[in-house]
Amino acid sequence: MSIESVVFAILAGVALAGGIVTVFARDVTRMVIGLAAFLLSIAGFFVYWKASFLGVVQLFVYVGGVLVLFVFAIMLVHRSTEGSPYLETRHDIASITVAGGLFIMVVTALKDFVHDPVAGAMVTGTDEVAAVLLGPMLTHFEMVGVMLLAVLVAVVIIVGGEER
Amino acid sequence: MSGLVWGVVWGLAAGVLIAIAALIGVWWERKFSGAIQMRIGPQELGPAGLLQTLADTVKLVLKEDIIPGRADVTVFRIAPLIVFAPIAMSLVVVPYAAGFAPLDTSVGILFFMAVPAVSVIGVMLAGWSSRNTYASIGGVRAAAQMISYELPRTLSVLPFVLLAGSMRPLDIVAAWQWWWVPLLAIGFVVYLISSVAELNRGPFDLPEAESELVAGYFADYSGIRWAIFMMAEYGGLLAAAVFGAALFFGPFSLLPGAAGVVLFVILSAVLATVMMWAKWTFPRMRPDQLMGVAWKVLTPMALVQLVLVGAVVPWL
Repeated sequence: MSIESVVFAILAGVALAGGIVTVFARDVTRMVIGLAAFLLSIAGFFVYWKASFLGVVQLFVYVGGVLVLFVFAIMLVHRSTEGSPYLETRHDIASITVAGGLFIMVVTALKDFVHDPVAGAMVTGTDEVAAVLLGPMLTHFEMVGVMLLAVLVAVVIIVGGEER
Repeated sequence: MSGLVWGVVWGLAAGVLIAIAALIGVWWERKFSGAIQMRIGPQELGPAGLLQTLADTVKLVLKEDIIPGRADVTVFRIAPLIVFAPIAMSLVVVPYAAGFAPLDTSVGILFFMAVPAVSVIGVMLAGWSSRNTYASIGGVRAAAQMISYELPRTLSVLPFVLLAGSMRPLDIVAAWQWWWVPLLAIGFVVYLISSVAELNRGPFDLPEAESELVAGYFADYSGIRWAIFMMAEYGGLLAAAVFGAALFFGPFSLLPGAAGVVLFVILSAVLATVMMWAKWTFPRMRPDQLMGVAWKVLTPMALVQLVLVGAVVPWL
């Protein structure tokens, strides 16, 4: 068993444990720590596969941005002295259906990469990512940017559009 | 395998470096603020009070580690470490000499900006797990502030990527030219101000605000865990100073060899002193002013700097 596989096993273990804690923890601070561990180990996976750019971006956007905003929202909505916020759901069956469907979709999409190691060997270096994003994929890249801008404007209109 | 060993070695080295910087930095800040406020500062222990911080360290280590009765014990215990570890990590990508950075990575600039962002979670968890109104308000303020100031701070170093054509700090240090200093003046001001804000230091210390929030998110901490928060603050100050000195002033290009490293240390000390100077000179900002400065002043300034550099690059 090489050192690489040990690292991989640790990362996978942390990711699984983080995911389980996120779903089953009763206390919301534990959930946040579980989610943080999960997102951090995903960043670790990117670094493990030599995609350091994606790893750092994962850290920046998800751990430093999305997770913090998430915690921020919970903290502002629920008083910290209450301990655990109201996190019950009445949509168990719908959630399971959506999660299962998403899982099948991801597995079908990634099936070819697992079986074909050549297709799995994607571009990983920062230069290659930049060359692909600003070369053949430039239109898609710009479209995503325009879409995100539209989303931001929509959020501003929905949240702050009221007349004072 | 060797990569893991070196990771541990450099991690420990960063921890020791921060400890030394905190020992000297606290003494220097107390002397410096004393001079600003026309008093002497520490003077009893050692020459010019140099051993005062060492004595304080012994006191902090021996002090009882108090955990509030209603606190979430596990989270309360690990929160200081979540704040400290990313800041120690960010120190390993800084170029300390021409052609030498402990972790030489092609995404160094992004790494330096992204990894300390993780410590926001530690700050929020510290405020939250204390189950204390002051601490909670401090945690929320810190999160809002640190997210807002990350944007101008990251934008302020992007011109380097344009000028050097690389995100590797060593490439930027190698490509450094003297005319970068006047060209990047706006970016440097944005970097310095947003770094101070990112560290929650005065005049941006609303999350701590000792006169209104007692000490904000670490109000309930004492002893060694409080000391870890302090070390994180001085570690962040050190990181901002050394990174700024190496990139904005190119000491290794100005002077060759060991002289460049000496110049680098002097420049870093000057930058750290300027950041302390700001703390002891300006009054604390109001929360609405704080957000206004980040979004309406610093971010547009950083964008103007980026456009300026973008206009220069094609003519090189």
